[in-house]
Amino acid sequence: MLNKSVIEAVINDALSTGGDFAEVYLEDKYNTGLTMIGGKVEKGLSGRDYGVGIRIFNKNNSIYAYTNNSSKENLIKVAREAAKALSENKKDIAIDLRKSSLDNKHFIKVLPNNVEKAKKVELMRRAYNTAKNYDEVISQVTVNYMDVEKNILIANSEGLFVEDKRVRTRIAINAVASKDGEMQSGFFGPGAHMGFEFYEKINIEEYAKEAARIAKTMINADLCPSGKMPVVIENGFGGVILHEACGHGLEATSVAKGTSIFTGKIGEKVASDLVTVVDDGTIPNEWGSQNIDDEGMETRKNVLIERGVLKGYLIDKLNSRKMNMEPTGSGRRQSYKYAPTSRMTNTYICNGKSTREEIIENTEYGLYAKYMGGGSVNPSTGDFNFAVMEGYIVKNGKIEKPVRGATLIGNGRNILKEIDMVGNNLAFGQGMCGSLSGSLPVNVGQPTIRVRSITVGGRKAKK
Amino acid sequence: MDIKELVDRLFEYGKKQGFEDMEVYIHGNKKLDIKIFKGEIDKYSLADERGLSFRGIYKGKMGYSYTEKLDKDSIKTLVTDAMDNALNIDSDDEEFIFKGSKNYKEVKSFNKELENISTKEKINFVKELEKEAFALDKRVVAVDYCFYGEETVYSRIVNTKGLDLENNSNIAYSYISVVVKDGDDVKTSGKYIITNDFSKFHVKSLAKEAVDEAISMLGADSIESGEYTTILRNDVAANILEAFVPIFSAENVQKGLSLLKDKIGKEIANSNITIVDDPYMEGGIASSSFDAEGVSTKYKKVIDNGILKTYLHNLKTAKKDGVESTGNGYKGSYKSPISIAPSNMYIKKGQNSFNKIIEDIEKGILIIDVQGLHSGLNPVSGDFSLSAYGYEIEKGKIKRPINQITIAGNFFDMLKEIEVIADDLKFVLPSGNGFIGSPSLKIKKLSISGK
Repeated sequence: MLNKSVIEAVINDALSTGGDFAEVYLEDKYNTGLTMIGGKVEKGLSGRDYGVGIRIFNKNNSIYAYTNNSSKENLIKVAREAAKALSENKKDIAIDLRKSSLDNKHFIKVLPNNVEKAKKVELMRRAYNTAKNYDEVISQVTVNYMDVEKNILIANSEGLFVEDKRVRTRIAINAVASKDGEMQSGFFGPGAHMGFEFYEKINIEEYAKEAARIAKTMINADLCPSGKMPVVIENGFGGVILHEACGHGLEATSVAKGTSIFTGKIGEKVASDLVTVVDDGTIPNEWGSQNIDDEGMETRKNVLIERGVLKGYLIDKLNSRKMNMEPTGSGRRQSYKYAPTSRMTNTYICNGKSTREEIIENTEYGLYAKYMGGGSVNPSTGDFNFAVMEGYIVKNGKIEKPVRGATLIGNGRNILKEIDMVGNNLAFGQGMCGSLSGSLPVNVGQPTIRVRSITVGGRKAKK
Repeated sequence: MDIKELVDRLFEYGKKQGFEDMEVYIHGNKKLDIKIFKGEIDKYSLADERGLSFRGIYKGKMGYSYTEKLDKDSIKTLVTDAMDNALNIDSDDEEFIFKGSKNYKEVKSFNKELENISTKEKINFVKELEKEAFALDKRVVAVDYCFYGEETVYSRIVNTKGLDLENNSNIAYSYISVVVKDGDDVKTSGKYIITNDFSKFHVKSLAKEAVDEAISMLGADSIESGEYTTILRNDVAANILEAFVPIFSAENVQKGLSLLKDKIGKEIANSNITIVDDPYMEGGIASSSFDAEGVSTKYKKVIDNGILKTYLHNLKTAKKDGVESTGNGYKGSYKSPISIAPSNMYIKKGQNSFNKIIEDIEKGILIIDVQGLHSGLNPVSGDFSLSAYGYEIEKGKIKRPINQITIAGNFFDMLKEIEVIADDLKFVLPSGNGFIGSPSLKIKKLSISGK
């Protein structure tokens, strides 16, 4: 990708104005994307992302520059241009890059680039046909397919010199149901840090059917009632509640500034006893996994909350300086266009003891959120919101009828304390998380849980 | 190799491989970002990026590819990839390369003055901005984002039908987000400015806007669930409109993904509503004389006094509908195929002052911020349920701040329930669907969920 002597020269020049750390990140990525609407392939695009990011630290401050031109002359020019932001004497730092080998935890069998596009189209067609033929109420189905093969190189003034390959693929099915001038949609988007073999592992028809079933259920659903009530959140993508309500607040980005609601709370009780939260970037082939983070540190299994007590944060290199704490392998970035910062990987609530059935049977009245949509949070106030894609009213311990159009809102300070039942059926869901260092693949996960009371934003008064 | 030579060789090789018409779209971008935290430069970023997008007709279908590595080795991959993509397209809709419009109106989107402002001046601006925020009120405990950024963008379209268009533009923006605290009560507010005229960057007014709003929210509490007369402040209304922009895309209409199908010439909004798409608007971030397919842009009313007049078209959808392209062909970047987006699109302002609208409300709610626009809102169904905050209005006056509520409704219903339009048109930070603006809107009734 780039040879050692070039990188050493670039790092040297990056440090010429007094920086105490410099890093070079090179990315060479091949993307494929296909869109099928109404059973026809409407769009096909492939291409190559290629660029280099140069980062300089001086104590707690950072400088970042990037370019698509990786010639030695240009990289030196960019490094010097970036270094101009500092004006101190050069420190005595010897650059000695030592190439390290990786312990690959994410074995790829079939590189997507070696698979004919026709095979990818065939897979999309299977998804389309299943969803479209599910019911006559399904009026349209859109299927998006993507795969990426990303080769990265990270080297820094501490001597790190490492390369990695990341392969990811995902298929997203969006079904629309129409009736009486109204439309509703259902979505499913499985993905993995895996090659094309992923599609042998999963049953695409099942996912397609689910997307169509959600759309059909929602077109026949009543409006969701408003107000505070208990909410049962199903396993898998339901973990988005944890991601928004607490995950972002545990990222060093906001902790280091002192603006997170979790700043200075290590050792304190922040959740109910039933809640243990883990962020684990090492799980083989999971969507949010990677061997190393985007600063070259091996990813880890980080316990964030243990039985309700705050144990740790997600920390990147720059914030580890600010916080005086060790980095946790959590420095991530979408591409060379972004400086890395602390981000989540696969974040989940660990299994409890209840079964899903017990949780529902024990709920007299409330909302059962079978599938969640996305959400967002303000880490400074802790206020979060997320959408329910498929919801039901629970009455007297039984699932009564589907309801549509609900959003759940609350505050991260108390929501985790309100979790009063945790199931034993942990599962993951795949999502894209947007924040300072771009849009990243993350897994959210949890078993079925119940929140004692949460504000449900619907369109109908509570009965 | 210079760009001209690369493009010539690319077309030559493409032709040899069997392509008919071909086109490249080149996009270059220089960026500067300065972030201040506690008086120091927390982050300083420089970017110089460019990319080339290739597309062409192969066996009757349009294939796309792109690269960020602009060298002669990329030529073969670009052509092979586009060919492979074309072979897999089985859409019935014809996409084609455009020979050019007769006239292109001149649009001024580059301000040379911006380049004369020194980096030092820009750094000073952000430092002063942070300082000012802290000085305004002792309850300001942190300024979590305080930055200045600017971009110079270059784009060029060249095709084998003789089209060769280029455009330069630049833009600067600044954003400040403050955290205020009173006891355990923490509130935030973020404000921004976006323009390529540096003389419009004022430290005092920007900091004050953010601090005042955050302070005004201290002590906020929820409100009884129910239906309320609701004012969506201009920026909130614009953000919601932006999220629903896909409903106007002819592509979504043709694919059965927009409820505006068969609604041309019909009343879809209250008769006081006019929505304009104006690519020539002065100071418009999305102003341009041509779109991503090289089609001359046009001023148009999408909704005129409540009546839907047109969808937004690119060449492909226009051909299918038997109309002319409205010049709304859009490419998010060189990485995207052609889609559709508005230029500078806004709800035309009304006659009433914002204060007058509040004075006329006996009991209601003013919404000043919504969250979750990417999740709590569905452009296909029109349904939305969004986390929100603002103030309770009683007897024509703002009574108290409210938060931990949601506003819910259906966009298509809401368009018919807009009773009064203010005269305070404001545009919001663009997120890819054009540059969108709205005045404050008084809605007859929206469902509020709270206590």
